[in-house]
Amino acid sequence: MTNTHTLNKTAKQKKLIIKSIMWAIMSLFAVLQFFPLIWVTNFSLTKDSDVFTSGILKVPDPPEWQNYSLAWVNGNILKYTINSMFVVGTTILIVAVLSLILGYAFTRMKWKFANAWLTFILIGMMIPIHTTLLPNFLIFRQFNILDTPLALIIPYVAFSMPLGVFIMTGFMRSIPRELEEAAVMDGCGVMRIIFQIILPITKSAMVTIIVMTFINNWNEFIMGATFLSSVMWKTLPFAVYEFSSQYVSRYSVQFAVMVLSALPSLIVYICLNEQIAKGVTFGAVKG
Amino acid sequence: MDKVLGNKKTIFLLVLPGILVMIAGVLFPILMSGYLSLTSMQGGGAAKFVGLQNYIKIFTKDKTFWVSIVHAIILGFSYMLFQHPICMGFALLLDKMGGKAEKVFRVLFFIPCVISIMVTSKMWVNILNPTFGVFNKVLTAIGMEGLARNWLSDPNTVFISVLFIIMWQGFGYGMLIYYAGVKGISGDVNEACQIDGATGFRKFFSVTLPLLMPVVKVNVTLGMISALKQMETVFLITDGGPGDRSQFIANYLYQQAFRAFKYGYANAIAVVFVVICLVVTVIYNKVIVVEDL
Repeated sequence: MTNTHTLNKTAKQKKLIIKSIMWAIMSLFAVLQFFPLIWVTNFSLTKDSDVFTSGILKVPDPPEWQNYSLAWVNGNILKYTINSMFVVGTTILIVAVLSLILGYAFTRMKWKFANAWLTFILIGMMIPIHTTLLPNFLIFRQFNILDTPLALIIPYVAFSMPLGVFIMTGFMRSIPRELEEAAVMDGCGVMRIIFQIILPITKSAMVTIIVMTFINNWNEFIMGATFLSSVMWKTLPFAVYEFSSQYVSRYSVQFAVMVLSALPSLIVYICLNEQIAKGVTFGAVKG
Repeated sequence: MDKVLGNKKTIFLLVLPGILVMIAGVLFPILMSGYLSLTSMQGGGAAKFVGLQNYIKIFTKDKTFWVSIVHAIILGFSYMLFQHPICMGFALLLDKMGGKAEKVFRVLFFIPCVISIMVTSKMWVNILNPTFGVFNKVLTAIGMEGLARNWLSDPNTVFISVLFIIMWQGFGYGMLIYYAGVKGISGDVNEACQIDGATGFRKFFSVTLPLLMPVVKVNVTLGMISALKQMETVFLITDGGPGDRSQFIANYLYQQAFRAFKYGYANAIAVVFVVICLVVTVIYNKVIVVEDL
């Protein structure tokens, strides 16, 4: 009796030790992983010259909040955030609708070459965006849409839609057909079937598509850098890009711009982390 | 039923917008690339046909192009050798922790991945800055000031620094995918291990790892593709320099197009680049059987 008791006790102790070690490893790694972000946030609240201190971190005493107001105004944060919301929002809307309609046409409608066209669209996932920068630049210049939101929305949609179609067709194949059969009997048109019957069922796939389109386009800047030249339509990543070249020695304010422009996607992530995790691992793991 | 779902006109109307987007956004630009790659077009000048000259130059004379390919391959292998084992280790550790801690750390580790590459890249430029960067300060603090240097302009350390930054940026993605794989291993397997007394390393090598192999394959291929497509980080941190010490294909393509204005030549690089990506993808599809998708 006492023997098993002590055995249980040592087993418990062992478990506790293992658990503490796991905690220690995790926390240490998390600190290492996060240290760069902490450092930048820390010095975004100090004076510009404090960056040259020999210490590794510095207590901001008092915190220089005006760095943030300066960053907000001179970094064009508000304008660029609104631009990003407009461009990415429009992209998400188009991608969601097209993925739904195409998904339906590819999995439910009966037509020749459906598979060939599906492959054509899915190949889009493999093409590096960088190879289209130059030809698109020449084409957009020809059509006078350089420096307009269309110059971003067209390629964003073209490069996000294949993943959307991939997710949607995969999902729709698992939906039973009975519901639609009843609808067709009642004389429902295809559009009504798609938007009234299919759309509500595909909610989880829709969320994944929206989340992935957001993640893949919100932080995109190389197309912006190529197709936009005036302040009018630039997106949020440009806040950092432009500020760091205009205010070279204002280190702390630069850091404040970085923190501010990281915030929107951070907030979205905190709110939707489950969906984002699901979207990122989609297709990589069965089930 | 078939009458409604086989209606040619409806199908045409449903598919047309999507197909048009793909033609406008992807196919047409690539065809145009193909055409311009056969010319000597420079900047706004007229396109003069030169046949395969640009391609011959890429394959016989262009050192930078091949250095870029080698860099992509090294990055791909670095993912496999350094990033993936760490990712997998932490995915397993997370799974072991369970409870609130599991969720909190999982959410935390992915945060650098949702922050713009613009922000994280510029952040690392500051961290590695030779005069005020915190990296050299940390080295000094732990008594290794001999190592302190200008990491990003020293030709000997620039590539390693860039590799490190890229792997830091991508850690969360790799970990999340491995984590999903670990979660996919059913409880029965763990129970069976417990009954058979398989624990620790033995369990890992004879049970867990084989079961994770499909996920490893996916991750390795995704890594290889992302290594090929690497551009943003390098563009923002070193722009491929000094010399070509940290050059990658997409960045080189960008320089040729928008700095040197060699439109014909840049398009030839683009075509070769697309072909390489498609070949890797075909291999990916051959090697990996993605079931039930």
